[in-house]
Amino acid sequence: MTLSKVPSAAREAAAKLDAPRRDALAELLLTMADDEFVGGFMDSEWTGIAPILEEDVAMSSIAQDELGHAKALYELLAEVLDDGRDADAIAYDREPEAYRHARLLDLPRGDWADTIARRFLYELADEARLASIGTGYGPLADLVAKLRREERYHRMHVVAWVERLANGGRIARGRLEAALAVAAAVAPTVFTRLDGEPELLRAGILSRPLAAADAAWRVDLTRILVPLELALPPTIEHGPEGRAGHSDAFRWLWREFTSVRRSEVGAAW
Amino acid sequence: MTDPLALDPVLPVRERSERPWNLDLPHDERFAHFEAHVTAGGKIEATDWMPDEYRTAVLRFVEMHANSELMGVLPEREWIMRAPTLRRKLALTAKVQDEVGHAQLLYRVAEDLGKPREAMLEDLLAGKTKFHNVFHYPTRSWGDIGIIAWLVDAAAIVAQQALRDSSYAPYARTMQKICWEESVHIMHGRDVVVTLVSGTASQRALVQEALDRWWGPLMQMHGPRSDRSKDRDLHWRIKAKTSEELRQEFLTIYVPRIRELGLLIPDPDLRFDETAGEWRYTEPDWDELRSVVTGHGPKSQDRLEFRRLNRDETRWVRDTILAAPAVAA
Repeated sequence: MTLSKVPSAAREAAAKLDAPRRDALAELLLTMADDEFVGGFMDSEWTGIAPILEEDVAMSSIAQDELGHAKALYELLAEVLDDGRDADAIAYDREPEAYRHARLLDLPRGDWADTIARRFLYELADEARLASIGTGYGPLADLVAKLRREERYHRMHVVAWVERLANGGRIARGRLEAALAVAAAVAPTVFTRLDGEPELLRAGILSRPLAAADAAWRVDLTRILVPLELALPPTIEHGPEGRAGHSDAFRWLWREFTSVRRSEVGAAW
Repeated sequence: MTDPLALDPVLPVRERSERPWNLDLPHDERFAHFEAHVTAGGKIEATDWMPDEYRTAVLRFVEMHANSELMGVLPEREWIMRAPTLRRKLALTAKVQDEVGHAQLLYRVAEDLGKPREAMLEDLLAGKTKFHNVFHYPTRSWGDIGIIAWLVDAAAIVAQQALRDSSYAPYARTMQKICWEESVHIMHGRDVVVTLVSGTASQRALVQEALDRWWGPLMQMHGPRSDRSKDRDLHWRIKAKTSEELRQEFLTIYVPRIRELGLLIPDPDLRFDETAGEWRYTEPDWDELRSVVTGHGPKSQDRLEFRRLNRDETRWVRDTILAAPAVAA
């Protein structure tokens, strides 16, 4: 499916970018969109089977928000790339290795504690990343302002769950600690250094390096985890593998989420 | 347009306390007042006195509806993961979320009648209570997702619209919200179907094949013809229409719409009898219906087992929430 060539503010802004800047912006948008897309998929797996009905409805809303964010970011990316692919083609029609989500989002859904641990670490990391988006590319800055309003509620939701499980007795706390240990080991991959990062900083599309966002994230985490006597994530050396070499859980997910689309390539759905 | 979610006002406590069936009278007098009120179209609130026969009937009706919403989540949630575009995925997640929300609202209505939610879930998973026949079948393709959202929800809404006037006021109010959301599901389902029938030959075949499989269960869904005078749910005005009235209504609205899309309804005897003013059709397989709703459908046991497993796996979370004091604000 091709995009209609409707002039838009984003398309006009994208047309003004030179090639290195466009590539750097595209890389940033793809990593952000893939994070929200894959994370949203895992969250939406709780729809219909969450521990209580009230929580089911809440988690489902969050999954829809994340998928909505992914959609908005892919749409922005489609305009920047302007190569004839629409948001769905970018989101669905790639081989598994071409996805650039962080390894944190590669984790399988797991049980409720796994989901809460992954969501907690990601939600706060995403917040630190969104706070690092500058005004260099107007359409992205505008979108980020909207995303941050919604993410506030996701944060309240997941922090409340972390507190509840941490203070919820031996079993709940044990499960949370185990889940945090697994997720925290790969959580800093959200801040994996991008190839185009120097260019993004020069253009003001990023207002600070992702390493600075990582540091801000740790300060934020400290304020929540230390009073609960929970461990902080380890620091890691950021290498390109932070957003590559995906897990079997993701390969399974990819086969599932592309199955209908691949059954009739190029058709409208 | 009136607000679709606007609720009928509840009578003030004082007026309710003055209603004759709430007065301290001998049981038979109260019963007579209650019955006269209800059969004349009056409404009953959760706090009203009500005869056991009425309470039990409403509870059984609402509980089965709640169970159906909860079990109805499963056939479609399997396809959330496989939704082929971002828009479809968002729409399907929202639809399944609505069904979960309906289950929650309905279990609350039922809880007020005296049966705790946990007990209702236990009975459902133990096979002691029922859920609608259509949720006992497998979903085999993306075509099913279109047919379910369009036609299963359409058949359901025909029944549910009639429940907005139920004599049990909390149920009637809940049905207003539910019907509004269901009408959005039908639009989503029709859009999926229209996209497929306008697509490639194999996409078209996908929808036709789904319709062929779902037609039988759809025709059985409202149940066999019943004798109006013997139906206690009609007597108490918990529901307003007979099974056959609902099926006729469904056929009148949807047969032309299905045919308009070039789809073939797999019943050679289906026709509108102008003289009698009603649809004629091949007699639905009532043995299949009885077998399916008593837990012998193709997916009945798998779905119940899936729910039991899920309930066991998440029990520690419920135990944690119920045991821990609320997190300080």
